[in-house]
Order: sequence, then C-alpha cells, then structure tokens
Amino acid sequence: MSTLAHTVAVRASGVDMFFGTLENQVVALQQADFEARRGELIMLVGPSGCGKTTLLSVIAGTLTPQAGTVEVFGQCLDGLGQEDLTAFRRKHLGFVFQSFNLIPTLTVIENVMVPLLIQGRPYDEAHARSLAIIEKVGLKGREDGRPNALSGGQQQRVAIARALVHEPPLLICDEPTSALDKDTGGHIMELVRDLSRSPERCVVVVSHDHRIFRFADRIAEMEDGRISRVVDDPKLLDATYL
Amino acid sequence: MYRLALNMLFGDRAKLAMLLCGLAFSALLMAQQSSVFFGIMSWTYTPMVNIRAQVWVSDPMVEQVNDAKPLRDTDLGRVRSVDGVAWAAPLHTSFVQARMQDGNFKLITLVGIDADTFAGAPAVLTQGRIEDLRLPDTVIVDEWGAALMGRMTVGPDGKPRSTPLKVGDTFEVNDIQARIVGICKVKRAFTGGPFVYTTYDRAKGYTLGARRTLSFMLVEPQKGVTPAELCDRIERGTGLKAWTSDTVIWSWGERSLARNTFWWFWTNTGIPFSFGTAVLLGLFVGIAISGQTFYSFVLENLKYFAAIKAMGAGMGVIARMLFVQAFTAGLIGFGLGAGMAQGIGRAMIEKGMPPFVMYPQILWATFVLVLGISFVSAVIGIIKVSRVDAASVFRG
Repeated sequence: MSTLAHTVAVRASGVDMFFGTLENQVVALQQADFEARRGELIMLVGPSGCGKTTLLSVIAGTLTPQAGTVEVFGQCLDGLGQEDLTAFRRKHLGFVFQSFNLIPTLTVIENVMVPLLIQGRPYDEAHARSLAIIEKVGLKGREDGRPNALSGGQQQRVAIARALVHEPPLLICDEPTSALDKDTGGHIMELVRDLSRSPERCVVVVSHDHRIFRFADRIAEMEDGRISRVVDDPKLLDATYL
Repeated sequence: MYRLALNMLFGDRAKLAMLLCGLAFSALLMAQQSSVFFGIMSWTYTPMVNIRAQVWVSDPMVEQVNDAKPLRDTDLGRVRSVDGVAWAAPLHTSFVQARMQDGNFKLITLVGIDADTFAGAPAVLTQGRIEDLRLPDTVIVDEWGAALMGRMTVGPDGKPRSTPLKVGDTFEVNDIQARIVGICKVKRAFTGGPFVYTTYDRAKGYTLGARRTLSFMLVEPQKGVTPAELCDRIERGTGLKAWTSDTVIWSWGERSLARNTFWWFWTNTGIPFSFGTAVLLGLFVGIAISGQTFYSFVLENLKYFAAIKAMGAGMGVIARMLFVQAFTAGLIGFGLGAGMAQGIGRAMIEKGMPPFVMYPQILWATFVLVLGISFVSAVIGIIKVSRVDAASVFRG
C-alpha cells in the first residue's frame, strides 16, 4: 500500500445520487469525487442545493448512492446492508448537527453519553468518560443542567462532546456555526480544528459560513453535484476566501 | 439507553401527565366498572351467603336461588331418609309486602328458618338474640332493612326524618303483626328487599294462601360424606335437585347454586352487556388518548430519534426504548387507575351503594389490557420512527 493510501481517510469516487422518479428526478450528485486526509479539517462549501449535504450523508452511510464507491478509514461502504451501515456509524462516526439536536429532556451529561450507550457501554463507564470530555470542552459544572439552559455556543460544545465521546475517527459537522455569532463560532472552530490534529482522525465540515473558512486545511468547492475545485494552498486559500 | 429513555419520558412532564391521565382513566373505568359488575352479580346469590348450609335441595326445575319453586312438606322427610344426611331443615323464601306503622308498604325478602335448629339463621346479630324468634309474632330484620323501613318522625328542627327500626318496633305482613326481636348483619340482595327472618311455621302464616311453602331444604352431610357426594345420593334417592353452597363463581363445580345463579343472570339479563360496553369504552378511550399522546410524544422527539439513528442506534434499540417508555407509563397509569378504583370502591362500600367487588382477576385483566394499550401506543410510535430517514438530521 502506498503512503498516500495511508493518508486517505475518506474517498468517494464517481458517486451518483438521484432523488425522485424519472419525470421529477433531481440530480443531487453526479460523478462526484471527494477525498479527505487523516489529520486534516476539510470543508465542503458551495451554494445551496449543490449537493453538500447529500455528499455528507453518503459519506456518513445514511444515504446509499446509486453509483460510485465510498471508503471511510479503509472500510468500503458499497454493498453494506442497513445493519452494517448502522454498526459502521456507531463505531466510526461522530456527528455535529446544524441545530445541535440535543435532547431537551435529558441533562448535558446524558446527551453526551448517548453514543457510548448506543455502543452498549455500561452506564457508569459512559458517565465517567462523558464527564471527562465535558471538562475538555470547557463545560465542567454544567453537566447536570438541561441544554436549554445553555447558550448557543455552549450547546454546540455539548454537541461536539457528544460527537467525540466515543472517539470516532471521522467527525462530520453540518453547518456547526450557522446558529452562532462570529466569536462563538470562532471558538467552536478552534476546538474542532484542534481535534482534527491527529493521524487517526479526520474532520469534514459542511458550511456556508465564510467566517470560518480560515480554519480549514483544505476547502472543497461543490457545484451542480460535483466537486468543482479543491483549494489546498494556504496562500490561495487566503486570497480566495478570506 | 433504557435509563435515558425513561429520563426522556419523565423530562416531558406535560406529555407524561396527559399520557398518565389517559391510561389511569382507562384503568379506572375498566377496573371500576368490572368491580361494580361483579359486585352486582355477587348480590344475585346473596341468599347463599346469608343462609349458610352445606347442601341445598330444591325442585328439579330450579335454575337459580332467587327462583324458588315450592316443594311439598313431605319432601323433607324423603331427604332426611337419604343415607349420609346428618340433618335437613326446611327453608322458606318469598317476596312479600310489609306494611309499616305509617301505612307505607315495603317489599321484603321473607326467610323462614327451622325454629328448632335455627339452620340458616343470620351469623351476626347486632341487636337481640336469635332464640327470641321462638316468641310469638317475632322477626329479625337486617340492618339495611331497619334503616330502609325506618319510622318517620319529626326531628328537633321540625323537619320529618326517618329513624331506623329497632328491637321492639312492629310492622305487619299480611295483616299479621311482626315484632322485631333482633337486628342482623347480612349481605344485601340483588332483588333489593331487606331480609326479614322468622320461623318456618310463622312464615307459612305470613304467606297466607300459598299451598306449598317449602322453598329449599338445608342439609348437613354426615361426617365423611362430601357435599357433592351427598348431592348425588339425594338426587338419586328423591329425584329432587341438590346443590352445594360453594360461592366461588370462578370454579367449574356444576353443583354450585351460587355459580348457576351467577351464570343465569349472566345469560338472561342485559347486565353483562351494559357493563361490558363500559369496559370496552374504557379500553377504546385508553387506546385513543394514550395512543394519541404517545404518538405526539414520539412526533415531538422524532428529530432526536433520527439523530440517535444517525449516531448508530438500530431500530431494535429504538423500539426497546419506546417499549420501555410506553410500558413504564402503562404501569404507572395502571397503578393510579386501579388505586382510584379502589378508593371509589371503598367510598361506595361505606355508603352501601352500589356493590363493589374487586377480584384479583379484575386487577390482572385490567393490568393486561393497560399494557395492551401501551403496546399499541409503542407500536404506533415505532412505525413512525422506523419511517424516519437517518439522513433527515442533515436537512436542518
């Protein structure tokens, strides 16, 4: 295996994804190719409807493409059944959603424990690990409160803690700063970028928010269902986006 | 995950309260109506409880205890001659009108018992002595009857009021005086009239014109002879019908007069249909309210369930979470409903109306039905969640 192969965390090749029937068919992805490397934070950007969320869903294994192959940390998702895809997500993926999706009737720590409990970890172990990561994201002392009692930034920190508590290699963030102000968004992205600095991890962020583009190692632009350009030269990155 | 599932349930107090209301109301309706039904039905065989004897003998055509078909007095001798009979006593039961001192008439259940043995006499007397029944023109009235047949007097406030009958008071039956020498405590009857005990011979006098007055014979088996065995012997030897006094209606004993009476009322009256409708109503109301509320709870949490699915929870885990939530609500709802039914029942018993008998079987049946409601509610929720696409969490 080549060195390059070792560095690839996510690879999607020739991915097609259509919705609807023939007459009303919507092409979401068309021969889309995408690659993310280990230890990097890559952003998927582009106008609304260009296929960012669809590509994210395909990488996450929540959508199965009509054509093409997807490989995540050496695991090929093609042909996997629903149960295998569910098990794959459980083990390899962490999610940060646009609207946080924190369960309002649970406490902060209970929300963070969810991925571990889904994995079947004992309650006490899940509690201890969740407590540790809550401390890491700077929310020590807030673990027994309800998410609604927290600010937007704090809620997104809880969502990040939940996404990382089971130490997944791939962190998928969908518009993580869209509900946050500039400063809070910046703090969140610093945290996410720090987390990506590990050869065993890769962070894929979908965003419209140009204020956070500077946190990316590379930016993949999407247009009409495919990656139109990948900007990986920091200078070019600065010139184009900052 | 189940602990979190419960925390999700208990965290939404408004929904939980609504859910519990539906389940508790349903459990209350089912348990309370069933208990009143069985209470009323238990009144149908009240004579079997109040008049105690191991074996009852009747005309062969008798189907239930309130339907006495008079026998000849000579039948008593025939029964006494059957091998295994320790003793046999006559019993008269009939419905007659009693005229009170104020001129009012009341329907009473007249019970004539053997003056020598007092077989069939009430077990508990709150006033007077059973032996005083041997005095001329005497009767014993039950407590409820004493209140019902009470004398109208004028109270200190000048308003009319009813004073319960007491020992020494009198009334008339068929123009013959009946003097109260005792007040007894017995179970009330389905037919409504109070029990008035007297001697068998005096009962004959109170029912002037009736050619035959022997309603039943109360029989005691000799030692070593079972009631069922003696029933067989009596039927073979006399051609009469013999019954055991077993009042456990759930048993399959064909010889139980109480059980036959219960099922006679079950098949020949509209009581089971009426109460059955109420119980079904409780079930449907429970399904409607609880199903709807639980569905609404699931709808409200749908995006979180989608997120949990996206995070890698299979439908099996989510289904179990929903079952835990629904069954927990079901258990609490059942507890509240059954508790309220018990409370209402106690209040009813204290007031004396209407009858209320909560058999353990009623509680079990209610429990199973409430869990059934929970099951249906959970399944509706599971169907909804199973149709949610995990990818929907990325759509904002």
